[in-house]
Amino acid sequence: MSDLTVNLAGIKMKNPVMSASGTFGSGVEYASVFDVSKMGALVTKGLTKEPKAGNKSPRICETPAGLLNAVGLQNPGVEVFIRDYLPEMLEFGVPVIANIAGSTGDEFVYLAERLTQTGVAGLEVNISCPNVKTGGMALGTVPEVAAEVVKAVVQATDLPVIVKLTPNVTDIKELAQAVAAAGADAISLINTLVGMVIDVDKRKPFLGNCIGGLSGPAIRPVGVRAVWEVSQLVDLPVIGMGGITTGRDALEYIMAGASAVAVGSAFFYDPLAAVKIIDELDQYCTDHGVEKLQDLVGAAWKEK
Amino acid sequence: MKGPEEFSCRVIEQDALAPDYYLLKLEAPELARNSSPGQFAMLRCSEGYDPFLRRPLAIHQVDRNKGQVLFLYQVRGKGTKWLSMRCQHDKLSLLGPLGRGFSFSAAGGRAMIVGAGVGVAPLLFLASELRAQGWDLVILMGARNKSGILRPDAFRECGDLIIATEDGSCGEQGTILDLLSRELAKSSFDKLFACGPLSVLKGVQTMSREKGIAAELSLDERMACGVGACVGCVCQGHDGSYLRVCKEGPVFSAEEVVLGE
Repeated sequence: MSDLTVNLAGIKMKNPVMSASGTFGSGVEYASVFDVSKMGALVTKGLTKEPKAGNKSPRICETPAGLLNAVGLQNPGVEVFIRDYLPEMLEFGVPVIANIAGSTGDEFVYLAERLTQTGVAGLEVNISCPNVKTGGMALGTVPEVAAEVVKAVVQATDLPVIVKLTPNVTDIKELAQAVAAAGADAISLINTLVGMVIDVDKRKPFLGNCIGGLSGPAIRPVGVRAVWEVSQLVDLPVIGMGGITTGRDALEYIMAGASAVAVGSAFFYDPLAAVKIIDELDQYCTDHGVEKLQDLVGAAWKEK
Repeated sequence: MKGPEEFSCRVIEQDALAPDYYLLKLEAPELARNSSPGQFAMLRCSEGYDPFLRRPLAIHQVDRNKGQVLFLYQVRGKGTKWLSMRCQHDKLSLLGPLGRGFSFSAAGGRAMIVGAGVGVAPLLFLASELRAQGWDLVILMGARNKSGILRPDAFRECGDLIIATEDGSCGEQGTILDLLSRELAKSSFDKLFACGPLSVLKGVQTMSREKGIAAELSLDERMACGVGACVGCVCQGHDGSYLRVCKEGPVFSAEEVVLGE
């Protein structure tokens, strides 16, 4: 067994494989399918102050090597989450990172304060959801606005603050620099790409929300590029995600500069994807004489 | 109840029942043992990433002694086309059993089962379990034409079968809702069970309300995870909230759900 451990901005993980927000429920949904305690960390579905009903159906649409989703942050609200869902998530014995999705800066501050001292190991600030009318991506496309939200969250909590960015911008590097300067402890790259499918029989957009976020293997090169550029520019750990389905996909992200990776849509294709990826990372290290997986972070950077 | 598990299952046989309708028999002892009527499984329908998502298929029947599970499905696109080409000895990846199935009293009673088109898929398992528990069954099957009347002989073993086709090529001419309305007027039932297109489910929902008979409806929805994690497959609950078809369903009581377009 090689050393797969990672200390991500103070969050100690036994391996770098996390669940991507919104794809893994609270983990219990998969508890009979595989040993969830093998994961490096769990990330919650996006949480809001009040319960959120989400978007009307259809919410998902399959696309070549991926899918569009427009769930719209359906969640029971932070109070019910803390009371009913968090305890069972914590029982897996792995760090739980709460994804917070305020629609205003004040709501982000509220969520950050409320989740501090609840047992969660960190916060992932979601300023990149493409499927809500307020908040989400609207707060994450202008560097100054993003920085303001991050600054407020960092002041409101002593938990590590991870900022999840959207690739739907002209220059993701600018945003990364802005949130880094605002005090972020780590950056998640990437949220979904905005897309649309038209139902040609009905002559209208397929999704109830019309537009949705594209995920799955189709977007992997986009994510790898974002990680490669941002991780060389900003001195913060990066969590890479977007289309990771195999150990080799995870290695691409790690070599591009990600300290950890998250698995999302791959759970739909293969519910055992995350455990297979962990095994494949270990196997790669063994086969190539790598003692510590973290030594491979940024192996494909320009200067190397 | 045991939670879902991931299995690699061998194909025992696969038959085309009619153009585009297939009956798939898998070796799946744990699934056969742990499933209950109305539950489903997510089957991977590709070797690569296209199609990317698994297909939710209702469990059509199980043989617990032989450790076999049957799926009845219609080819509707790339995924089910791929599935229809699997042959004996091929292996399939499958996650199951999933969802909440039908509920019924072990004390027995008189039930009406309504299956429209390929909607009969989850109903044979139900009919045989109800039969085994001493229920009296009237089973209504409906389709556009004869080729859409699937496995009538298997259903006939479980109760009184009445068939209707829109073109009259099999059984009576008419719609399944015509049949239902007539049969409900004739005699009384303790429970209705239905699966089929939304128009049929809405008809069953309305008639069950009028007659004051409890009804359970099995819904069909596109799914991604199948286990309740992604919240991608929702229908509207009566209180306005969204219910996950894969987790709170796919079987809902008629009072629980608002059926859309």
